[in-house]
Formats: sequence, structure tokens, C-alpha cells
Amino acid sequence: MKALGKGSIASIVRVGLTIAWYVLWVAAVCVLVGAISYGVVLTLIANGSIDPALLQGGAGNADLGEQGGGNFHVTYDQPGGGTWPVVVPALLIAGVVVAGSLIIVWRLRKLFDSFSSGEPFQRENATHLRVIWITMLAIEVSRYVLLALTGILLARFGGPDVDANYQLAIDFSTWGSILILIVLAEVFREGARLKEEQELTI
Amino acid sequence: MAIRVTLDRILLDRRMSLTDLSEKVGVTLANLSILKTGKAKAIRFSTLNALCRVLDCQPGEILSFEPSEDDALDEAADQAAE
Repeated sequence: MKALGKGSIASIVRVGLTIAWYVLWVAAVCVLVGAISYGVVLTLIANGSIDPALLQGGAGNADLGEQGGGNFHVTYDQPGGGTWPVVVPALLIAGVVVAGSLIIVWRLRKLFDSFSSGEPFQRENATHLRVIWITMLAIEVSRYVLLALTGILLARFGGPDVDANYQLAIDFSTWGSILILIVLAEVFREGARLKEEQELTI
Repeated sequence: MAIRVTLDRILLDRRMSLTDLSEKVGVTLANLSILKTGKAKAIRFSTLNALCRVLDCQPGEILSFEPSEDDALDEAADQAAE
């Protein structure tokens, strides 16, 4: 089976990316609805319509980070995890991951569109790869920042009922992927330049 | 680009159209147009050979060098490096 062109592996991957694109939009809507719902609940608590104890519950446990893993990993044992220092960073983390994934998948779709058409070396593809590695870098840096923020918020406002466990691990596979994408973006830029030159050689 | 293609002048001298040249040289009209308008990045020796044969001229009559500002800067950089 050929790698590029119609009926190739690239065209199959493109279908998978299209499915991922719609799944991510559903996830984005879920995060948005969750954020709005939580905002409404906080407003109702501020008005006195809802008992604040609803979010407090009993004792809870928060696990931040993931040992040896590269994903955002914030889990909370309910009850105790419904308070804003716990939920707001979790929503922020979810937002960053979903938004970043949407950008990456959208660029990958564009990339695989041109792979499927059999013309991989285009200047736009180098730009798509560049945007993908910048987005991956932004997500990875956000991971550290948001996990630190969550830790600070839990330590200061978490209350005695929420116990936080910190496990910050540097994910070398993500950093390796970013480096590979940087090189790949330059390879595509050079490839596009050579193709242009070849086309303009009479 | 400091290299200028003077194909239009030679064609005028020879009273030949670009279409005629395209047919005689075996290069598409689109490619000859790219060459004539100076948009080409490179020219193959085989193309140059065919053009010189059909137009009965030397390569220097088709191509000319006109130093640009970039060339002056490059030359200054080379001298500084030495």
C-alpha cells in the first residue's frame, strides 16, 4: 500500500483525523458547558440559593501530575474536590488540552490533505508542522505552569479537607517529539524550496 | 536576480515569436514565458544549447550579468572575511 496519494495510508489517517476532529469538538463543548455550569453553581452559592457544603463535602484527595507520564493528570477524590481551587485549574487544564489538540488536529488534517493529494512538499506544510510543534511546546509548558498553579491554589485555598499529592515528571518523549517536529518542519521547508526551484528550472 | 535574460531582444532581432521558438526548441510556451520574464530560477545546459542552436547565438547573448545591491553587499562581506 502506498504512503501518499489517493487510497494511500495518508488518506486513511486523514479519515481518522476527521473523526478525532469531531470528537475533540464534542470534548470542547463539554468543557465549556462544565465551566458555565460551575460558574452558575458558584453564582447560586454566592446568592445563598445553594448550600456551600454541597461543594465541600468530606475529606478528599488530589493527585497532581503523573509519574513518568506526559499528560495533564489531575484527579480528585470526591467529596472535597468540588471547591474552586480544585475545579478552576482542572477546567483550565482541560481547556488548554482540548484547544491545543484542536489546533494540532486541524493542522494535521491540512497536512494529510496534501499528503493524500500526493504533493507533500509545499511551503504551507512546513508552516503547519511549525504550528504543531509550537502548540505542543505551549501545551507542555502550560502543563508545568498549571500544575504549579493548582498546587499553589490547593495549598493556599484548598482547606484542610483537600489533601494534594504532587508528582511532576518531565516527559522526555514529548520533548523528543517536539525536537523531531522542529527538524521535520525545516526538512519540509527545504523540500518545498527545492521543489519550487525544480519547477522554475527551464 | 543579477542575471538578466535578454530573450525578448534576440527574438525581436530574429523576428521570431515565442510560439515559433517553443516549437523549434521543444520547450513549452509556459516555460519559455517564465524564462523570458525572468522568473526562472535556473536554466539547464540542454535548454541553453537548444536555444543557442535555434537562435544561432552565444549563451552570452541570451544571458547578461547586471550587479545588484545584494551583489555589492556580498562582495563587501567577502572582502571583510579576507
